[in-house]
Amino acid sequence: MGLKSNLHNLKEKYKGTKMAPAFNAIHTFLYLPNETTHNGTHIKAADDLKRTMNIVIMAMIPCLIFGMFNAGYQHYSAIDALAGVAREVSLFGNFLTWDNFVIGAWQVLPLVIVSYGVGLLVEFIFAVIKGHEVEEGYLVTGMLVPLIVPIDIPLWMLAVAVIFGVVIGKEVFGGTGMNILNPALTIRAFLFFAYPTWMSGDKVWVHGADPRVQDLAAGATPDALSGETILGGLAQNNSSMLDSAGDIWNAFFGFIPGSVGETSTLLIILGGLFLVFTKVGSWRIMLSSVAGAIAMGLIFNGIVSAEWVTESSKFYGLMSTDFWMHLLIGGFAFGTVYMATDPVTASQTNKGKIVYGFLIGILSIMIRVFNPAYPEGVMLAILLMNVFAPTIDHYVVQGNVKRRMKRLKVKTA
Amino acid sequence: MIEHLELFFKSIFVDNMVFAVFLGMCSYLAVSKKVATAVGLGAAVIFVLAITVPLNWLLDQYLLQPGALAWADGSANGEGFSGMDLGFLSFIMFIATIATMVQLVEIVVEKFSPSLYNSLGIFLPLIAVNCAILGGSLFMQSREIETFGLAVNYGVSSGIGWFLAILAIAAIREKIRYSNVPAPLRGLGITFIITGLMGIGFLSFGGMLTGGEDETPSPEPTAQVEKIQTEDAKELAENTKIAE
Repeated sequence: MGLKSNLHNLKEKYKGTKMAPAFNAIHTFLYLPNETTHNGTHIKAADDLKRTMNIVIMAMIPCLIFGMFNAGYQHYSAIDALAGVAREVSLFGNFLTWDNFVIGAWQVLPLVIVSYGVGLLVEFIFAVIKGHEVEEGYLVTGMLVPLIVPIDIPLWMLAVAVIFGVVIGKEVFGGTGMNILNPALTIRAFLFFAYPTWMSGDKVWVHGADPRVQDLAAGATPDALSGETILGGLAQNNSSMLDSAGDIWNAFFGFIPGSVGETSTLLIILGGLFLVFTKVGSWRIMLSSVAGAIAMGLIFNGIVSAEWVTESSKFYGLMSTDFWMHLLIGGFAFGTVYMATDPVTASQTNKGKIVYGFLIGILSIMIRVFNPAYPEGVMLAILLMNVFAPTIDHYVVQGNVKRRMKRLKVKTA
Repeated sequence: MIEHLELFFKSIFVDNMVFAVFLGMCSYLAVSKKVATAVGLGAAVIFVLAITVPLNWLLDQYLLQPGALAWADGSANGEGFSGMDLGFLSFIMFIATIATMVQLVEIVVEKFSPSLYNSLGIFLPLIAVNCAILGGSLFMQSREIETFGLAVNYGVSSGIGWFLAILAIAAIREKIRYSNVPAPLRGLGITFIITGLMGIGFLSFGGMLTGGEDETPSPEPTAQVEKIQTEDAKELAENTKIAE
């Protein structure tokens, strides 16, 4: 009670001064205030912004916790592989263990803290300078960011990227609700293009892979690395990673290397259902982008079975992957559910949402297949469609205007 | 057929006039406040590129390239023209073609859509000196596009690329019209930032369809890192052995 009343007193004391937004934000962040958002960012949906944000965060929490366990699991299974022991995953036997959790939490929590700390600091500074309330927009971004980076990313890189993403991606446009690119994806794209060695390849996806590379030099077996994502493997025509049905189930449940939160398709589907059920995420975008991905996957499968592309081609690995498999591996599911549905940067109109999602699906599979440099297509596909979302909206609106004008003419005539 | 498709896709997305080579920026920044105007200018650019690139291709093939004048051999007293190289004339020839075409477009637009003519203002005649247009012809020359059909394709598709770019930024600028952009950035400043961010989006196509010339950039650095690290580790191991 003491902290709360202190904060309240501070808030009252600084009311109307320059630092007021900072104290207000701390107060609302820690304690539920009685007021709701009453201007600015909720202008496009008559919801309290905080409720919306909290629901998205709730939908992501399972992914985060699973990511922690998985980080530990991948770490220990890589160590086992180093010793020459193959591991079979069993949920309660060797996955949901305290050891796994400790390793994972030790790696993931700092990412969460840095992401929130740095991002909110930037938000606070901007709010104080510009003299408005601290906006809630960063709550979701700050949660997304740790989920879409590799586990061993150095914290200073994350901090630099977060500053870039929040300042250039969002604040220069006037803050939450005004940005054109998804800030979390801007942050990831910044990392991806600025520090490619930390964001792709086969060394970054499992905690502690780097030291093991050193072991490798000292004579361990090359299998010991085993930190490659399935997508990365397929991009290099190494299709042995999805041989058995067990591998496919692992990819579905998420016991595979990858970014922290993106691996478990099952949990992402559950989170997506939750978002759709609470009407926070748009089912139109999710469904149409899955449809787009399936369509593109089918086309590529058709090309392969028509033998236009042979095994010697560098596109073969990903082109011959079954169309439904594309939905399970990599970040496609995560991007579709949590990033593409970002209400600010997606299309605003219902028709536009369908077009927007469909193009995301098509583009992400296309980038995966044709651009071996970027096996993760969904990030860039969403960014590209963010760029074109206003255009889609514009034409949907124009179409509506035209139709109504016609109707009006018919009526008056 | 496949080369046509490849060139089409490549010049729209991979070698986009705005986001890959940053050409035609002046009109791109100036006329992108409204979608309707941007569409008009974009269409004009597509049209001009579609005409001038093939025309300049013909000029290049039959007049300017070294040996291009071989067809004139024997017509004038058996004098050999095939040894001539008129390449130094390409700039002036290309610009002359472009200026003529732009004049034509201007007359047509003024006749059929006076409102578009007024909203485009000075930027319509300025297409004549738009670097994207001359750039199209010069790229056509330097990339040695082989057939007339491909030249038409190249003109149209790089025009479409530019059109898409100006269309997207016009829609974005219409969307952010009421955003609370910090005062010093309003107008051109934020437009530059948006263009940069759009460039990130278009990076998704970077390195696509390059025919394997510059191979995947990402595995290489990691491979190097691995190499360096293994070397380091070896060195370390040797040093420790020596120390023992």
